[in-house]
Amino acid sequence: MFDPSSPDMTRQAQTVDHDGPNMPAIIRRHRSFFTLLAVVTAQILLLSLQITRNNHVRLIRYWAVQAFDPFERSLGGLMNVSSTAYRTYRNLWHAEQENQELHLQLVAAQAQVQRLGEEAGETERLRTLLGFKNQMAFQTVAAEVIASSPGENSNAIFIDKGADSGLTNDLAVIIPEGVVGKIVAIFPHSAQVLLITDPSSGVGVSLAQSRVQGILKGGSNSSCDLHYVMNEEVVNRGEPVVTSGLDQVYPRGLPVGTVVNVGDGNIYKIINVKPAVDLNRLEMVLVVLKPAAAEQQAMNGTH
Amino acid sequence: MPASTHRPVAVFQIHPAILSVAALAALLLQTLLPLKLPLTRLMDFPLLLLIYFALMRRDKMFGMGLGAGLGLLQDALSHGYIGIFGIAKAITGYLAASASTRFELESLLTRTVLTGVFVLAHNLCLYALQHVLLEAPPRFQPIATASAVLMNVALGLILFQILDRFRRPA
Repeated sequence: MFDPSSPDMTRQAQTVDHDGPNMPAIIRRHRSFFTLLAVVTAQILLLSLQITRNNHVRLIRYWAVQAFDPFERSLGGLMNVSSTAYRTYRNLWHAEQENQELHLQLVAAQAQVQRLGEEAGETERLRTLLGFKNQMAFQTVAAEVIASSPGENSNAIFIDKGADSGLTNDLAVIIPEGVVGKIVAIFPHSAQVLLITDPSSGVGVSLAQSRVQGILKGGSNSSCDLHYVMNEEVVNRGEPVVTSGLDQVYPRGLPVGTVVNVGDGNIYKIINVKPAVDLNRLEMVLVVLKPAAAEQQAMNGTH
Repeated sequence: MPASTHRPVAVFQIHPAILSVAALAALLLQTLLPLKLPLTRLMDFPLLLLIYFALMRRDKMFGMGLGAGLGLLQDALSHGYIGIFGIAKAITGYLAASASTRFELESLLTRTVLTGVFVLAHNLCLYALQHVLLEAPPRFQPIATASAVLMNVALGLILFQILDRFRRPA
């Protein structure tokens, strides 16, 4: 009979050693435990091939999808963020390029708008001038102001029409707002015009209401003075002053200015007149042709 | 580990032929007996065999391997998923072999307690696996589990006495 308590039957418990020479120490020390893990894992995998969930989805596929899902979401999210960032950067870069191009276009368009505005203004002025010209009973020649005389007290301008356009001295120069001056020097292709504000100029005028006549001469500070009006005459501030036509230069009835100050002098009144025309902003003017000059103009084929 | 720290314990082995016959008999009993005696459905012959051999051999690898083998065979013969019993018995065999070096196994009390502990551990392991893996796991039945433990302990005490006749020192 087998006797388990016999001393011959007892001995030290032997640690079964199946270690390989190259195993890490921790695995060598717990070899049986790691083997158990391997066996259990293998059987779990075997089970996962058999068990199904959620409409016959095998458990192993279910676990694999669940295991990779967070990484896929993270990576997908990262890719989306990167793609969005790149797209945003590219769009911003394109937007910057487009912005620069549009800025250049805007600058060009603004310059064009300004130029067109100038042209429109000039067109309007020319239209006004043409309309005024067509209304007048006398012939005129349109001219452009090209320069003013140098000097602090310069009250003369140059226009771009001269002898070749049939102009002569002592022709009146006007614009729709009023009288500008008269031609005092003729050149082949230009002419010098003495403004009414020059002290050496003289315009025969009359007051629009009282019909008092006088001579308008240039005064100080770009204004004019009305001379030879007796103290007894009644002159009111704000009364319009028009050409009288008696000087044989300016056609009758053209606006000259407005009375701004009236005072009594020794014999004659001291009357200040503000010109009707802003003589500092002249661009286009009309030269009134006398009958002989008008004929010359017709012969030259210019109008 | 140094020998001086070990209590001298007996290590036995079983002839491979006897081991094979015993395993086959256990599986056959497990499949046939419940047809005649429904109460025997709570018994687990392969488990008792595993516990006995793992305790006697005192080899974790042997216990794990025997448990995995018996469990897979038991799965194959059942209509359930292959691997449930395999995992549970592999772990039980490992634990039994691990515990075997710490106890004197000739004592009846020791055998009773150890058998009860390992049967309970096996059944809890089964329940945990089914709960984790299956979509509709069976409900935990404590009374049935306790009954299974008691029945297997009683059967084990008888079985161990029979198997003691076939063991030999290693």
